[in-house]
Amino acid sequence: MSINISSLTYEVDNKKILNEISLKIELGEILCVLGPNGSGKSTLVNLISGNFEATKGDIFFDKVDLKKISIEDRAFTRSVMTQSQPIVFDFTVREIIEMGWLKRGNFNFSKDFKYVFNQVVDEASIENLTEKKFNVLSGGEQKRVHLARTLIQAWRPSNSNDPKYIFLDEPTANLDINYEKKVMEIVRKKADEGIGVLLIVHDINLACKYSDKIAVLKDGFLLGFGSPENILTEEILSNAYDLPVKVIKNPLSFEY
Amino acid sequence: MNVFLSYFNFLNYLSKFQKFIFYFLIILFFIFFLVSISLGSFNFFLFDLLTYQPDSLNKIVLYEIRIPRVLLAGFVGASLGISGASLQGLFRNPLADPGLIGVSAGAALGAALVIVLGSNFFSEYFFNTFALPFSAISGAALVITLLYFFTRGFGYEGITYMLLIGIAINALASVGIGILTFISSDSELRGLTFWTMGSFGGASWQIIMPALVIIIFTILWMIPSARKLDLLQLGEPEAYRLGIDIQKLKFKVIISSAIIVGVSVALSGMIGFVGLVVPHLVRLIGGVNHSYLLPASAFFGGSLMMSADLLSRILISPAEVPVGLLTSALGAPFFLWLIFNSRKI
Repeated sequence: MSINISSLTYEVDNKKILNEISLKIELGEILCVLGPNGSGKSTLVNLISGNFEATKGDIFFDKVDLKKISIEDRAFTRSVMTQSQPIVFDFTVREIIEMGWLKRGNFNFSKDFKYVFNQVVDEASIENLTEKKFNVLSGGEQKRVHLARTLIQAWRPSNSNDPKYIFLDEPTANLDINYEKKVMEIVRKKADEGIGVLLIVHDINLACKYSDKIAVLKDGFLLGFGSPENILTEEILSNAYDLPVKVIKNPLSFEY
Repeated sequence: MNVFLSYFNFLNYLSKFQKFIFYFLIILFFIFFLVSISLGSFNFFLFDLLTYQPDSLNKIVLYEIRIPRVLLAGFVGASLGISGASLQGLFRNPLADPGLIGVSAGAALGAALVIVLGSNFFSEYFFNTFALPFSAISGAALVITLLYFFTRGFGYEGITYMLLIGIAINALASVGIGILTFISSDSELRGLTFWTMGSFGGASWQIIMPALVIIIFTILWMIPSARKLDLLQLGEPEAYRLGIDIQKLKFKVIISSAIIVGVSVALSGMIGFVGLVVPHLVRLIGGVNHSYLLPASAFFGGSLMMSADLLSRILISPAEVPVGLLTSALGAPFFLWLIFNSRKI
């Protein structure tokens, strides 16, 4: 079970934003996408989520073409967290998280929901925020609320084997190192539970510590895709960021 | 049975307090209905109605004039309330209102066109029940379609834009209505004046029955979109990722708003600010989620409009204040208050 992306190309006004990208997101693994600003990382997430339509190339979710999956079914398979837009009306945090709950069409709304709600709220460390208005929260707190919403969307009952994927576009932006570590640990835990994760971060150290596979993008081209040891080389990173990069193994083995 | 029950799924998204408010508003709606039919230039006492048969004149006033009129006021209020609530949700803008963004003006222009140019072609019955509402609905739909294109699909960045476009459309519609006024005959002019101020005075069973049916079914059609409008508040891309077909949702909200605003304007003229004020008050009372907001706005809008109509009938009785003047007189200061208090405009 995996998401297979082959020769993915995306053009806007004849300008190629992504160029022949081929990747694979496996269940139970974290794939981290690195790259400088404007390299096409967020576009990639939008394409795999189905928000944009690829100019060329294929995206297969567990051998089913993304184009053939209905908008509703897509929501059950993958959940996405990106840079969010401001919310105009004064929703409570509880209501925002509830928006990720897809189980519809029956009256058993409260049974599973209460349990899962408490679980994701606990995971995102926002227990004391749930009854507050979303708009009074700080940027970091809002981020964690959105994370909780993303997690509740990806929830599956323990007896279910439905493949689930999470795509996270800079989930640690605006977070202090304490929460940064917490978020990454949740992501790791989700992957260990069998969820496939696509992660965009800017922090190369975070990527190296937590991910199973790394892809490096630059100007819409894939510079490398593979295990962190093979990809996080001085050659590839220097090329990606146009900076001389020196790779030093952390004597503390990347512990904070 | 299941299909019927699943319709009420929206109640699952209401908190206990919201349910309480919602049921309270339903009761309020019926209380205002009863009060409104009993008061006016003829007074009926509620308990008397249950016990004795009113004499023939009273009976005619009650059944042929008063009840249709109050019903129409209630349903037009409900239409404006719920369409304001759903348009605000769709535009993600607390200032959206069928009046402010030009939808009512479009409907009035549609109606004016038929009054002045078309009234000779149709029989009176066909004219009042079909030609007039249809033309008003088309006018409303045309304006919403224009807005849609000018704001590039109602995107978030198009908000101020939208209000400015509303101003332009309102101005254009007034030009159209002005020209029509200029070329109209005396009897047509009377009809036209009626649009610009709004009144429920023309209500009769024959005219309101098709409209009530349309309004009820359109509102019932709108309510299941409530949850989707909630998700839309996260932004279009996010709502899409949560399984919402955005184009379908936009189409549904736009068409249904155009239908009920068009029908309302066709029967009662332009009544300002109700669509703006009602959702705000409902939000202030109980919260912002649309599963609560849409149905509650319908009932509250209905109550508010019936009481406004009641006021318009008894303020300078036996004469009447046009109800549109009354709602604008009360709504405009509220709108100013809203602007001064809003953090996000």
